Amino acid sequence: MTGLRLDRMIWLALPAVAYLVIVYALPLLWLLGRSVTGPDGFTLAQFTDFFADPFSWRVMGNTLRIAFWVTLVALVIGYPVAIAMARARGLMQVLLLVAMILPLSIGVVVKAFAWQIVLRRDGVISQGLVASGIWSEPQRLLFTEAGLILGATNVFLPFMILPIYSVVKLIDPRLTEAGATLGASPLYRFRKILLPLTLPGIVSGSAFVFSMSVSMFVIPSLLIGDRFQTLATLTGRSYLLMRNEALGSTTAVILLVIAVSIVVVSTWLSKRIGRSL
Amino acid sequence: MNSDQAFLEIRQASKSFGVAKVLDGVDLAVAKGEFVSLLGPSGCGKTTLLRIVAGLLSADRGHVMLDGADISARPPHHRDVGVVFQSYALFPHLTVAENVAFGLHAKGASTSSIQPTVAKFLDLVHMAAFADRSVKALSGGQQQRVAVARALAVGPKLLLLDEPFSALDRKLRETMQIELKRLLRELGTTAVFVTHDQDEALIMSDRIAVMNAGLIEQLDTPDAIYRRPATAFALEFVGLSTRLKGKVLAAEGDGGLVIETAFGIIRANGHYLPGSAVLVGVRPERMAFGVREGANTVHASVRDIVFQGSRIQAHVVSADDEPFLIETGGELPAGLAPGQHVPVSWAMSDTLVYPAGATP
Repeated sequence: MTGLRLDRMIWLALPAVAYLVIVYALPLLWLLGRSVTGPDGFTLAQFTDFFADPFSWRVMGNTLRIAFWVTLVALVIGYPVAIAMARARGLMQVLLLVAMILPLSIGVVVKAFAWQIVLRRDGVISQGLVASGIWSEPQRLLFTEAGLILGATNVFLPFMILPIYSVVKLIDPRLTEAGATLGASPLYRFRKILLPLTLPGIVSGSAFVFSMSVSMFVIPSLLIGDRFQTLATLTGRSYLLMRNEALGSTTAVILLVIAVSIVVVSTWLSKRIGRSL
Repeated sequence: MNSDQAFLEIRQASKSFGVAKVLDGVDLAVAKGEFVSLLGPSGCGKTTLLRIVAGLLSADRGHVMLDGADISARPPHHRDVGVVFQSYALFPHLTVAENVAFGLHAKGASTSSIQPTVAKFLDLVHMAAFADRSVKALSGGQQQRVAVARALAVGPKLLLLDEPFSALDRKLRETMQIELKRLLRELGTTAVFVTHDQDEALIMSDRIAVMNAGLIEQLDTPDAIYRRPATAFALEFVGLSTRLKGKVLAAEGDGGLVIETAFGIIRANGHYLPGSAVLVGVRPERMAFGVREGANTVHASVRDIVFQGSRIQAHVVSADDEPFLIETGGELPAGLAPGQHVPVSWAMSDTLVYPAGATP
């Protein structure tokens, strides 16, 4: 009886499935096909050409390096925030949640332009560092890797905080108290209780931020410019500027492979951690 | 007890949360090896007091002395005070043995000494067979045993227990209570136990502190608390009782009182001025059917007879509809049935008198 009902319920998903197949899966298949099709039919030449070019390796290096730093900075900043949010009570918790979610309603383009102003030679960061004596003269952070990492971290931070927050929320606060009454110092409690129990949140938050950083397009376009290419910006340029569909589909497929591997690895990691917890 | 003998001594502990005063200058002294319960309704401050002793909460005023040292300013991990939490708070990512070993590792015990200590305490709580299990796979009673073993394994000077039986079913609870009391006595552990369950407190404690509204109303042995509650609150909170409002008509020279109540004239012992409003209390098992010479007697009619296995309760009402309870472990008068009118009597010395106006 319930089986029959469930079967019928599945049809409710039909519109969404049809939509995804038409506008997502089919173009994706076309893209995959295009990346292995040459003038004479099937070929892997586009991939071998791509990997033979040192420029390609620099682009992949740029992509992964930026994504790594954005993920690391977001984790270092986001982890304590997630703990504070999960342990805060009443009005304080509401304020923290609003402070984190409200910026999500501002578009990425608007944020990136705002960061352009902040990162300029006469922007607030430069002025602040000069005023505090850390820098001897104003410097431009815009169009540097540091500027890109700062801006991208700001945009993706909520996606690090939320998964960790939801994991901490489920941890009994008595656990760290119990650790304390057993003679464990605050650092020991963090290492042996909080850190292992929040690992699933760290894994999924990092996977979110890393995969979004790998494929971001607007933020690097506005904050670092054309001299610095990532797989995503190169894909965009190939299609939009160079009209080079062969290169564009190749880099797009490589991006896809990276994104899928992140999902697979992080799912496997959190399952593994989940089992041992 | 004087303070020279006290192993744990709490002096003038006070705590407010916002405008709510939770502890109002509590003093408590516990001797070495003693088992003391903090008994009271929720919100009386008992858990707050326990958390202050453990260092998980700081008092607004007052001091906590343990084994001759003032530990008020020490963080919880430097206090040598173990806690068994109501939720047990076992570490879900560790096995049973790893949970028990946690404190030993944290305190930097040598690896060779940890394993035998863990084995010893798991053995004491009958959990040796579960050493390598995940704590998530354990039943409530088993989790509680692990929590006790974990707290005791580090050899705390004092063990605090925060309602550790409340999640267990009644039958298991009674077994665990007796088992835990025996274990703590064998180990000579000093323990402070928080509970709102009077039966639990009566079964387990050497002494009970009855708490109400941020103060200890009475601190005495279970026997004394039950037989001679110091306040109307202690009478109401511990055990069953019939309570009546009354007015002192006459005070005799030898401490005898004549009190007018809804039951008629009652005689009791106490020192009150004629005209004072009082509260009169009687325990149900001190009352008996029939008339006795020199005892207080009330004429009542039987409403219900409730058979409870080892004891029988009779619900009766007085002539002017005041309900009360009689309890007997033995036999009821032959042929007693609901609707019958019978005299009920109790000794003058079993009549407890408190100033009225306090908690009824």
